[in-house]
Amino acid sequence: MILAALLLVTQVATQDPRLERLDPDTRATVVAVLDSARDVGLPVEPIIQRALEGTTKGASGARIVAAVRRLAVDLGTTRGALGTSASAPELEAAVAALRAGATPEVLAHLRDVRRPPLTIALSVLADLVASGVPADSAAAAVLALAPKARDADLVEFRRAIERDIALGAPPGAATSVRLNAGAFVNNSDVSHGNPPTRRSRP
Amino acid sequence: MFEREDETVERVIQQLRRPVAIDPGLDARVMREIAQVPFPKRRARLLLPLLAVAAVLATVLIVARPWIWNSASKTDALQFVLVAPQAASVALVGDFNDWDPARAPMQTAHGVWATVVRLAPGRYRYAFLVNGVEWRADPSAPAAKDDEFGTPSSVVTVGGRGS
Repeated sequence: MILAALLLVTQVATQDPRLERLDPDTRATVVAVLDSARDVGLPVEPIIQRALEGTTKGASGARIVAAVRRLAVDLGTTRGALGTSASAPELEAAVAALRAGATPEVLAHLRDVRRPPLTIALSVLADLVASGVPADSAAAAVLALAPKARDADLVEFRRAIERDIALGAPPGAATSVRLNAGAFVNNSDVSHGNPPTRRSRP
Repeated sequence: MFEREDETVERVIQQLRRPVAIDPGLDARVMREIAQVPFPKRRARLLLPLLAVAAVLATVLIVARPWIWNSASKTDALQFVLVAPQAASVALVGDFNDWDPARAPMQTAHGVWATVVRLAPGRYRYAFLVNGVEWRADPSAPAAKDDEFGTPSSVVTVGGRGS
């Protein structure tokens, strides 16, 4: 029954109507990439979204194909680092961290020191680098906070550094100062559940 | 006195040691009665499949726990805002709506365009499409540095644990 369900899912994904937005040649190649990804157990939704992003933005077929191939490779790399139990959001966030400069060893270390999901921690790492923080400093900071900090603490850590940078602080120094201030680790054992639904800004 | 008591005890012992005559058909009758009692067998017949089902369920739960844990259907409502007083239309497009401008038109009030989207935990890339032609990143969100299509995008991360 499980096998039948898997086959059904595979068939549905192969015939994903969203891919009809791609030109036929590009679609054929993207489908081949999706099939390959599926064969090795990688999530295909991020790849589909990247192809759709490309076509909506008017990118050429060659550019779309290059992007989805690169994403498939990176998803494989991150899965190798995080393990087969990593979720699709975790792998996607890990790809962002990887592309920001985090090594697979950093990803594996993060997996070892923090219980899942790792999505926020990985995203904060990637976003810090995007803000100008050197990759090694960002990785060291996130790894230092990871064992105890809540997801909300990590997000607030990132926001504080972004504020400091906006006020003129060098990104690396801002990270170091905020980390040493130690205000971002919640040592209480409460609040590890989801917060109540609210409207918030990205 | 002691001798009399000894004799009495000895007689009791001898009486107890006398073989008891048991009906030779007793064993057969007892076994026949036991064989006719239906409850234990029925219970076993019901219990075994139940145990098997419980074992399968437990195995599935243990194996699928990481996926169940990670894919819990929790969503956050996020408000996206872009100040674009000159724009005639603004659409929010991203990984959460298949990058389809038709699916997320934004509403304006005095040039402030806004919309609310419910998102499950994950990291999403998105951008604003102004007047159907101009791509803009969200100035209040982290930029997507790995943009491979030559236009700006932003990133929003929705957490599943105390975020």
